[in-house]
Amino acid sequence: MSVLDSTTTILSSGVRLTVPLAFAACGEYLAQRAGAMNISVEAMMLGAAFTSVATASATGSATAGLVVGVVTGLVLGFVHGNLSHRAQINTFVVGLVLNALVLGLTSYLITTQQFTSHQVGVLSIPLLQDIPLIGEPLFSGRWPAYLLILLVPLTWWLVTRSRWGLELRAVGENPQAADVAGIKVNARRRQALLWCGAMAGLGGAYLAVGEVGSFNQNMTAGRGYIVIAAVIFGAWRLGRTLIGCMVFGLSDAMRLALPALGVTLNPQLLVAAPYLLALIAMLLFASQHREPAALGRPFQRGST
Amino acid sequence: MTPTTSAVPILELRSITKSYGSVTACDAVDLRVDAGEIHGLLGENGAGKSSLMKVLLGLVRRDAGTVLVRGEEVALDSPQEAAELGIGMVHQHFSLINALTVWENVALGDTGKVNKQAICAGIAEVSARYGLPIDPEARVDALSAGERQRVEVVKCLRRNPQILILDEPTSVLTQAESQELFAVLGRVVQEEGRAVILISHKLAEIAQATDRVTVLRKGRVAFRAVTAETTPQLLARQMVGREVSLGDEGAALGLLPVQRAGADGGEARERQQPVLRLAGLTVVQGGVRVLDDIDLTVGAGEIVALYGVEGNGQAMLGDVLSGLVVPTDGTIEVAGSRVDVTRPGVLSKAGLGIVPEDRHHSGVVLDMSVAENLTMKSLNEVSGRFLVRRRAMLAQARRLADEFNIVTPSLDAPVRSLSGGNQQRVVLARELSGHTRVLVAAQPTHGLDVGAIEDMYARLRRAAAEGIGVLLISTELEEVMALATWIAVISSGQITGALPVSDATPERLGMLVGGEAA
Amino acid sequence: MSSVSLMNPDDLGRRFLARLRPGRDGWLTAGVTFALVIVALGASALLLTMNGASPSASLSAIWDGSLANSTGWTATLLNAAPLLLVAVGAAICASAGTFNIGQEGQVLIGGLFGAWVGLRLALPGPMMVVAVMAAAAVGGGLWAGLSALMYRFRGVNVVVSTLLMTFLAIQLVTFAVSSPWLQESAQGSSGIADAQSNPLPASALLADFGEYPSLLVNAGLFIALIAAAGAALVLSRSRWGFRVRMVGLNPLAAKHTGVRVSVLGGFTLALSGAFAGLAGGLLLASPVSPNRLQAGLSDNVGWDGLLVALVARNRPLIAIPVAFGFAVLRAGGDFLSATGVPYFLVDIVKALLVLAFVAPPVLVSLFRGRRGATPSTPSPQPVVPTKKMEAAA
Repeated sequence: MSVLDSTTTILSSGVRLTVPLAFAACGEYLAQRAGAMNISVEAMMLGAAFTSVATASATGSATAGLVVGVVTGLVLGFVHGNLSHRAQINTFVVGLVLNALVLGLTSYLITTQQFTSHQVGVLSIPLLQDIPLIGEPLFSGRWPAYLLILLVPLTWWLVTRSRWGLELRAVGENPQAADVAGIKVNARRRQALLWCGAMAGLGGAYLAVGEVGSFNQNMTAGRGYIVIAAVIFGAWRLGRTLIGCMVFGLSDAMRLALPALGVTLNPQLLVAAPYLLALIAMLLFASQHREPAALGRPFQRGST
Repeated sequence: MTPTTSAVPILELRSITKSYGSVTACDAVDLRVDAGEIHGLLGENGAGKSSLMKVLLGLVRRDAGTVLVRGEEVALDSPQEAAELGIGMVHQHFSLINALTVWENVALGDTGKVNKQAICAGIAEVSARYGLPIDPEARVDALSAGERQRVEVVKCLRRNPQILILDEPTSVLTQAESQELFAVLGRVVQEEGRAVILISHKLAEIAQATDRVTVLRKGRVAFRAVTAETTPQLLARQMVGREVSLGDEGAALGLLPVQRAGADGGEARERQQPVLRLAGLTVVQGGVRVLDDIDLTVGAGEIVALYGVEGNGQAMLGDVLSGLVVPTDGTIEVAGSRVDVTRPGVLSKAGLGIVPEDRHHSGVVLDMSVAENLTMKSLNEVSGRFLVRRRAMLAQARRLADEFNIVTPSLDAPVRSLSGGNQQRVVLARELSGHTRVLVAAQPTHGLDVGAIEDMYARLRRAAAEGIGVLLISTELEEVMALATWIAVISSGQITGALPVSDATPERLGMLVGGEAA
Repeated sequence: MSSVSLMNPDDLGRRFLARLRPGRDGWLTAGVTFALVIVALGASALLLTMNGASPSASLSAIWDGSLANSTGWTATLLNAAPLLLVAVGAAICASAGTFNIGQEGQVLIGGLFGAWVGLRLALPGPMMVVAVMAAAAVGGGLWAGLSALMYRFRGVNVVVSTLLMTFLAIQLVTFAVSSPWLQESAQGSSGIADAQSNPLPASALLADFGEYPSLLVNAGLFIALIAAAGAALVLSRSRWGFRVRMVGLNPLAAKHTGVRVSVLGGFTLALSGAFAGLAGGLLLASPVSPNRLQAGLSDNVGWDGLLVALVARNRPLIAIPVAFGFAVLRAGGDFLSATGVPYFLVDIVKALLVLAFVAPPVLVSLFRGRRGATPSTPSPQPVVPTKKMEAAA
């Protein structure tokens, strides 16, 4: 294989690994801007991966699986939102419990169920896919990947331009003031979690019925945490968050590809890279207070 | 100018009742506001003013009573509904979001699409009409306290409210800025026929700026009158519910005291042996000189006041003297020896006690017991090598509680269960215990009722009589005039002047507060 | 005013901890908890039934594996000790207002340090096991201490950094066990064999008391019980514990009275890591593991221990029965999986039960709030001077 070919291979694999992260990161980014820190994004991705495969197996349609995956994410976002931003149970506790619950549930069910394999189709863009080096990685993917072209700008527009997003940001920065302005703080956070659930669900489902075609135990393997790392790495800016996803996706691709190419690079270092980079980003930027000021703080009217 | 009362009032509250558990915040309150008037709502802290306004803004739901806007009964279940009815409020705190720009803040609470051009145009229009210039693109955290207040007013007026509520609007304003605000309000009611409700605990302000006044006391309407037909003394009496002396009580209520602190002491100008000396004290934060080269001396047995409007560095000075912030530059001497402020707890070891501005901030631990709060600074005295000696702790706490008349169900009760006045006494008792040489009292009467305020005054005077130097940080003109022998004025983090109380007049202090030399 | 915008990055943790204090409505809470536990168990039973397994058989399998006989008790107590240690550590740093969720990684690093000492040092007699335990505690403490340092000097949020550090720890240990550091010889030709260290020498193992097949009690249990009792005493009665609680409840007031808040907070975080590390040492040197370091050594003990602390509301003595309950599930789950029902069922039950225990106090206070009782005035969140403020010095 030529250097060009192997680079293309790594890039393709990197893009494929980036896409699920990017979907989920759009959701987590929006949720965190609203001050809702949910580590349950892992549960959303994993749960959606499972239900999408189960649905695809039952209906024979990978697309139906994708849809049900999104719905699964929505349901988990709904549950988390109500537990944390209605019943006011601490969001980290809810996240830990949901992650454990979904991991246990999917692991349990996969040992008792058999699923047939289904995968969504590849959509290759004529001409563009022939561009050397980047053509195949970028323009010959599974069709849902192209949804990013729509969803990333949409997320950006929602957060920075829409009234809803303005209110989300207000809620994330100063819930008391937002409340006084007549914004329903906890409702906004629950809505943000729904968006997060839908996007994380799409990411998880894409991973399962898009790239892999089947479900295996704990198949997201901490990708939800990587998404959180990406948002932190991106200093709560969407563009930088997506760059983070790309870096993390590529490092994952390299971990998979390098041994075959005869390059010896410590695989653990590559697995650890997202977390390491997120920590380094925090070490560099944490003191600049770029995070939403009320991130992770519950809101109850009357409390200051 | 007296508004006509025959027409249908723009706002009428009938028998509004709101209670929180066993506490009745508003008890069958009636309030009638006409278009074209500034209506004063006067009352002590806890009299029910804020609860009433929260009901009016749809932030809390009333338990009973009716609200009529222009004669029609309304539900008022949400802030949106209040806004649609043309009720707008300029809040005292918490209503601007630092990380957003001015225009984004102004847009919050609107509905529909976010149209930046339209919003900025609206801001410009309101700014121009009332002479309140602001930059819509500026981030709020870059604005001064006065500018933020301006944003609040513009934000509120842009919605074209028919009823405008202002909650203690002048606490962050200099006298000049307050005058500017009242001029705007005058135009709002007289030329545009709106109604303004001005909430205040300052008698002078109510007397000066309002057309009619309603006085609340303990959740009930105690008095209502046309302002011009009443006197500050009468209002004070209605507010407190009994005859008010012109001494401390008057000061506590915002009436200028006839007797000044220095007057009885003859030549009080002679400074005493200093027990606290701040020299060149500077704190730079985020590039801003929050405290700028502060020089201040407090002598033994003196009460020295540091007067100024809110947000001019007093909070930071309190934090420095509490040992929470290490100054960028400058020195602090307590009882003649320089204190190394980089080490925690040294100020209090050196004999400096402090009653902080917000006692919940660093004064008390609400969820620890009264006994624990009283002894937390002298923990070593009530401990063995390793364990806290409970008996010794309770004995010391009992002694302090008796000495300072702290009313508590038990010494083991959490401080949270105490009234504000008693919480404040816990702080005072702890900070005066031991070998205190200097007492710093930052806004010590903030949020207390008149009785508790008088008690605080008496205790500060007694502390001074015992030879303790007292530094009183206050925003209340009347308070500093009544208590202090020397008054220093702080403005934008700088001391703009210091003078003995005998030379102090409201006018001179006002100029100093505005940053001008007097 | 100035301090409003300056928020303590660790406030998330403190906010959260504020919600975990015991509520007043004890009986109502207990009733709701009971009801939710029934719901949780019912849901688990339903799940079993739907998958063709018998809930009663599963329940009896869990019983058989954990409490029915001395072998079961032995397994339960072996499982309880590390869980309790992790929970005690979590409780201590929670009392100081710091929320550590990285115990899983701290357990592993404890195991790594313990294994290194156990395999590389040859100390006489009982010194060996003491050295292994000490090394494990130091390892966990250092790992959590890194998070403390990151917070102290760069203001990095403790919750997030301890979480991320867990994943680093997993990779570090995976790397360590596949490298020659802890192996006398290379893995051999197979290469893909389960990466693990050599077994620890017998002198590095914790002693068992008792005689198989009757009840065996491992020394680790005594360590854990002593730690729990000690932590309870220190927190409630000692001068140091007083300061810790003060820092947890109002760091500014604590600072004002001369407590070095950031030092104490960092120290309790490291201490909690040390407890987790010690738990890793216990796992390594007691019969609950094959006495080898593996990447799977921690086996969710860190996460479970954290959940124990949550359910026990950060009270070390309450953590004892809670840890025991979790250990019953763990031991019973091992037995259960032998009967053909996947072990994962236990994970589901555990998660549901935690929810059943964590939710009621909040639900009750919410219910009270709706009913318009005294306006709940949660402690105003104290604002701690940030690094920036201190840097201004």
